[in-house]
Amino acid sequence: MTDVTNTPVPSGPEKSRGSSLYALDKRTKRRNAAEARFKAYGIAAVCVGLAFLVILLVSIVRNGIPAFTQTFVELPIYLNEEKLDPDGNRDPAAMSKVSTFGYNPLIEDALVQLMADNGIETDMDGPTLRKMLSSSVPAQVRDYTLANPDQVGETVTFRVLASSRVDGYMKGRVQREDLERDKNLDAAHLDIVDQLVDAGAVERTFNWAFITGADASESRPEQAGIGVSMIGSFFMMIVVLVLALPIGVAASIYLEEFAAKNRFTDLIEVNISNLAAVPSIVFGILGLAVFIQFGGLPQSAPLVGGLVLTLMTLPTIIISTRASLKAVPPSIRDAALGVGASKTQAVFHHVLPLAMPGILTGTIIGLAQALGETAPLLLIGMVGYIATNYPEGIVDGFLAPNSAMPAQIYEWAKRADPAYYERAWGGIIVLLLFLMTMNIIAIILRRRFERRW
Amino acid sequence: MNQMPMTSENVTTMPTKNTKITARDVQVYYGDTHAIKDVDVDIEDRTVTAFIGPSGCGKSTFLRCLNRMNDTIDICRVEGAIKIDNEDIYDKKVDPVQLRAKVGMVFQKPNPFPKSIYDNIAYGPRIHGLAKSKADLDEIVEKSLRRGAIWDEVKDRLHAPGTGLSGGQQQRLCIARAVATEPEVLLMDEPCSALDPIATDQVEDLIDELRSQYSVVIVTHSMQQAARVSQKTAFFHLGNLVEYGETDQIFTNPKDPRTESYISGRIG
Repeated sequence: MTDVTNTPVPSGPEKSRGSSLYALDKRTKRRNAAEARFKAYGIAAVCVGLAFLVILLVSIVRNGIPAFTQTFVELPIYLNEEKLDPDGNRDPAAMSKVSTFGYNPLIEDALVQLMADNGIETDMDGPTLRKMLSSSVPAQVRDYTLANPDQVGETVTFRVLASSRVDGYMKGRVQREDLERDKNLDAAHLDIVDQLVDAGAVERTFNWAFITGADASESRPEQAGIGVSMIGSFFMMIVVLVLALPIGVAASIYLEEFAAKNRFTDLIEVNISNLAAVPSIVFGILGLAVFIQFGGLPQSAPLVGGLVLTLMTLPTIIISTRASLKAVPPSIRDAALGVGASKTQAVFHHVLPLAMPGILTGTIIGLAQALGETAPLLLIGMVGYIATNYPEGIVDGFLAPNSAMPAQIYEWAKRADPAYYERAWGGIIVLLLFLMTMNIIAIILRRRFERRW
Repeated sequence: MNQMPMTSENVTTMPTKNTKITARDVQVYYGDTHAIKDVDVDIEDRTVTAFIGPSGCGKSTFLRCLNRMNDTIDICRVEGAIKIDNEDIYDKKVDPVQLRAKVGMVFQKPNPFPKSIYDNIAYGPRIHGLAKSKADLDEIVEKSLRRGAIWDEVKDRLHAPGTGLSGGQQQRLCIARAVATEPEVLLMDEPCSALDPIATDQVEDLIDELRSQYSVVIVTHSMQQAARVSQKTAFFHLGNLVEYGETDQIFTNPKDPRTESYISGRIG
């Protein structure tokens, strides 16, 4: 023991060479401060991002939700036989000679009657009262009458669109003072509307026609819907999916797994990366030149739109597919080749299934990008074209002129009437829902194909 | 090359009866790098041959020449003659796919397919059409797993993923997968380097059993392992085959001073 005490080691806890673990030295403090600072920057950045997202979503929802409801008027109209079918023999040819203008008097009479029935006192005459209704009403009544000739002579209750000013008043967008210089409507009309709402003849309800309907002329925002352009977008997406996915995946597999690495393939690689960064409007003018002017395909057709968007999407798909093929461990390829699989078998039996989640994600991202693209559509005539009818059948869906959702939204945003501004926001909600659905599908597919190794 | 026990002339004229693989004057280039220089070697049937040598000496490269796995590397170029059963495997008529069914390979890191144990084994026989029916295939799977000395551990969970096994089990599964295609030669590239001592022991026992049916060529970093499992040993250094002979002789009485320095730990 005495020998031990002679050694320089003290018996108590050792005072080590000048520094204690409890006291932080300068360097450590500085390092910790830098770390804390960096974390704070990160949190700040995330918060700013989240704040913008919240502002965006709130403003989209607040501005867009009203577009999904519409003001309707319950209007009993007497289908006067003397005016609609003077001969009385219900001959369709004779009845169709009565133009939409011929229906106006009936509607005006019905409005006057509606005032009397609900005890509303007004000195307005029929034509003035008719300003409360959409100018689509005569056509609606006429279509109904021609389809149901046996109803002539009866009183039929129609559910007709109110004019966009009345609708705006119901949604709080239009105030009485706004109407002072408005030729379309007077403040007196709004008094009547108030009374009709109390009587239950006017109500604001969910408007399926906004989701399913076609675009309308500039003066009838209340009638416009996004449905037909949704069909246009749908057919374009089918073209993109059917062309871009197989072409993109085949090209990436070839480049990644089979092609020799030489200057030529390097050049292709660089060009694919460059193509991904080319402004989409360039693809639009390429499509105009190649598919429409040279190829003779019809203008404004979803087929052409789809082809252009395919060109635009291909680089995205190829890049993401190649990345996911690269991410498959080479040991899997070795294993397959080692048991005597050919290169093709190794790729298709082992590498491709493992790369599938990545390929699908890339494809859906590419599709989502294509779905929201407007600029290339400008040049092939899909913006500004107002399709009023649904395509008749599948071939027509690809070849008949149509628009696309983002083009439709752009078109609405351009129009002067504030009612269209509201519809543009509503259209964006529909577009976002579409995108969200696609992303959810991507996530589900990813989960399903994902395998551990 | 004068340390070689046999000169190239007397081998080509009079091949030993049970020689499986003969390599003559083999050169391998990676781009401009000369990775393997003038290698001549005769590998016997039903024997375990070990390739030893320091890292980067070319032993794995040479092993991968034997089933043409180097074909997958663009910049790799092989010259000289490698014959299996007197057939030149680099002949234009030879399809590497057929060759690899005859020369199985086990890799350094266990690399089971991310599929079930059953499918791991059945994949090779399936693509080569070795099984006529489901029952045939079941039999092949069982036989291969038994040969891989792993049947008892996995027989109750053949449809569980192969990637869920432990490292040693995975490596034996890979060996079973390699023997499922009925190869004649089995190449093993450091099969135990990722395994713990117990798993290594199991795999070594397995290699010793496999010797009765196959010509096994094993690349290893561990000289003890080479001494334990092999009958013949080849020592590679800087791309040259320095010495090749009976394992006992290489480890007890090496002829070349470089071999002696390596096995006594002075270089490597």
